[in-house]
Amino acid sequence: MSDKAALEKLEKLGKSMVAQVEKEKSPTFETPLRSRGNIDFDESYGFLRLGAKKEERTFLNVSQARTFMQTVAVANKTKKFLQEGLHTSIRGLFYQLKFSLGEDLDEDLFSEQSESNALIEDLEVSLGIKREDLHLTTDRKGVVAGNMVVTDSFGGEETKINCAKQGRSGWMVPSDVDNGMDFVDVNAKYVLVVEKDALWQRLNEDQFWKKDNCILITPKGQASRGCRRLIRKLADKGLPVYVFTDCDAWGWYIYWTIKTGSMNLAYLGRDFSIPEAKFIGVTMGDIDEYDFLKKLTIKAKDIDVKRAQEMMEYPWISRHKEWVKELKKVLKSKKKIEQDALQGQKLTFVGEYIREKIGGEKWLP
Amino acid sequence: MSDAFSKFKEYSVAEFFTKNRQMLGFSGKVRSLTTIVHEYITNSLDACEEAGIMPEIEVWVENAPEEKVRVKVRDNGPGIPKSHIGRALGVMLAGSKFNRYMQQRGQQGIGATGCTMFSLITTGQHVKVVSDYGGKRVKADIGIDFKSNKAVLTEVVEGDSPEGGRGLYVDALFGDVKYEKSSKGVHEYLRRTALANPHATIIFNDPEGARFEFPRSVEQLPPRPFEVKPHPLGLGAHDLLEMSKRAGGYSRLSAFMQNELARVSLNKVKELQELVPDVDLGMKPDRLNWEQAERIVRAFQKVKWIAPATNSVIPIGKGQVEKSLNNILGPEFVYVTERPPKIYRGGIPFTVEVGIAYGGQKPSPGGELMRFANRAPLLFDAGGCAITATVKNIDWKRYNIRNFDDEPLTLFINFSSVHVPYTSAGKQSISDEEEVVDEIRNAVQESLRNVGRHLSGKRREKEKGQKRKVIMRYVGQLSSDLADLADEGEKEGKLKETLTSIIERRFE
Repeated sequence: MSDKAALEKLEKLGKSMVAQVEKEKSPTFETPLRSRGNIDFDESYGFLRLGAKKEERTFLNVSQARTFMQTVAVANKTKKFLQEGLHTSIRGLFYQLKFSLGEDLDEDLFSEQSESNALIEDLEVSLGIKREDLHLTTDRKGVVAGNMVVTDSFGGEETKINCAKQGRSGWMVPSDVDNGMDFVDVNAKYVLVVEKDALWQRLNEDQFWKKDNCILITPKGQASRGCRRLIRKLADKGLPVYVFTDCDAWGWYIYWTIKTGSMNLAYLGRDFSIPEAKFIGVTMGDIDEYDFLKKLTIKAKDIDVKRAQEMMEYPWISRHKEWVKELKKVLKSKKKIEQDALQGQKLTFVGEYIREKIGGEKWLP
Repeated sequence: MSDAFSKFKEYSVAEFFTKNRQMLGFSGKVRSLTTIVHEYITNSLDACEEAGIMPEIEVWVENAPEEKVRVKVRDNGPGIPKSHIGRALGVMLAGSKFNRYMQQRGQQGIGATGCTMFSLITTGQHVKVVSDYGGKRVKADIGIDFKSNKAVLTEVVEGDSPEGGRGLYVDALFGDVKYEKSSKGVHEYLRRTALANPHATIIFNDPEGARFEFPRSVEQLPPRPFEVKPHPLGLGAHDLLEMSKRAGGYSRLSAFMQNELARVSLNKVKELQELVPDVDLGMKPDRLNWEQAERIVRAFQKVKWIAPATNSVIPIGKGQVEKSLNNILGPEFVYVTERPPKIYRGGIPFTVEVGIAYGGQKPSPGGELMRFANRAPLLFDAGGCAITATVKNIDWKRYNIRNFDDEPLTLFINFSSVHVPYTSAGKQSISDEEEVVDEIRNAVQESLRNVGRHLSGKRREKEKGQKRKVIMRYVGQLSSDLADLADEGEKEGKLKETLTSIIERRFE
């Protein structure tokens, strides 16, 4: 969303509340309910989204008055950021708003950063706007290598970045890939998302992305907002997306968050999900397929087993019988395999494994 | 009268008193003093009411040498004619109040004579009396001749009353008593008596010379109690036996029952006779024996009676208690119940009045329970009393009261009945008859519901005020941000003004 559009949305929110006060009413705004009861799975597109339930935030309610005032303060402050063309983190915003409400009042506008997180989400959903659009940055996480050139406008300067020329370090995914970042050229056949940085480095050294012409991305664990947006944008360019994680509930959950979004962040919706993503491994089935893996399994932790049980109960996962089979195997064997284990016999086997999976269309939905 | 007999009598009266001091309320130094004041005050109130005079009674308690205490009481009653003074103050068990089935103040029976005797025993002094009756004044010192159980009058001076003079003045010295300003002392007794008798003005002068006046709150005498016949369901075998022995002039038990008991008709007699075929109801009443009386009483329970008349019960009245509590306590909130009479033991009508006051002048900051029977304060034996027990079991939190002992509550409970079910001869606590306990609880709960509503209203007000304050803190910041956000910075002042007025209206 352009800065102009974001500014308009903020101003519109302000004007509607001013109008309410002028009619002698409490200022209010509506926001979709973010509780579990209002999260559903969009069948046609395949992602988690918020339902139709809304709640009203109002100033004239003792339990809401403070947060209401804070929300308006945040909205107004981000409006300033947009006007000044500057970005900051939520922590930076917190310090901008950490001041006393008045000489005679022993109370700060904000006293803890944790207070601001929920109401930034409030603003995002009620305005239908992303925090990145409000010039609020998030922590960067994720590294890219591949035949892709982007331009990055930041701090008043535009830089051209060639992701094929980033050596061993790769290009770090910024917190916002929508504003001030554009693709110049993407010349690859598919996107490969690798859970662990160690495996990304393996494949980079092996020149896997060059040989197979893919965009190699590691989110380094759970994918950041920026990382998810980048994958979404690449998928929008028609590139297939394959995800490669550890063979345990944690790794699989990373895949599902990329694919459908998570319950906690269901409010982010469609822009942050990649329903077309496919899972290439590691699977429990691989233990039968690759003999050497049998000896390389490790014991699943309680938390892995618990997560597997939870995943069986999510309808958008349990409707895939392949996944139910995988999850049942974990519950039965209480074992897991790390993606690193594929290097157990031969370091470069990882690439062979991926080619076999993609080439043989051996993936899970 | 033979010597032996009079000796026996002398022995018996003195013996009776010493042995039964406790029973008569003369136990413990503080309690004895309260009992003395109670006896005089009760006599004064009764005399005034009977004569149709609005009572005005003044009491002095003074410390005398050798740990003696002087008690003086002056009333504006009709006074006592010379012919009756001795009988009223110097003859044991001479009261006219015995065996009358009517609602009376918690009467010990031996009344002022008991005080005269207590004075004699503890100090050897006679009681000084000045009576102004019908324009005549009699001054006398009154003692008791134990031998003959007769009053001894000395220093008798007769004359005319001063202009408009009327009433009785008693001045007596006592030993073995002690003045204490406690919840069981004379001051508290008089304060409560004033509360339960809003038609009376009571003035108290304590030993330190402080004067406390409890002015009357109503200008109307309470209705006079009247005698009623006992209802069969309210009688035990002992009562029936005793009444039949006393009743003269009846040749048949059936006639005695028809005339002396309530609701007994010829038809009911026939019904009873069928229930007790072996007992001849035509016998002479004084021939009735215990076993027969028991069978008749059992038969009483089987007959369907018309309920007893409840008009013998005379409560103080809702309006009167309200005025009284307001007048003497000056509380923030008062509620008084007004409930129809109930019946206990199948035949005894009674009412319970509960007055509750929140705030006002109180001797102690916490919750205070005041018990009364027929307007007389019950200060002692609280532990065994049905009123205390019932109040103890109340779930205060249901009524927005965290803890009775911490709230400025006064709970005024008056039990009215011709027959008060005292637990003991001390007449200071009411027994836990099922119907009585139920009614006390219901009445207390009714009053608490009302006080609870008052308190929750108060709390709401307070909370509203707090809410208003909380929201007001944010008006300045919000107005400035809103105006800015809407790009209408010039509206900040107006927004602040409007928001403030909205909040004030919403949380006024």
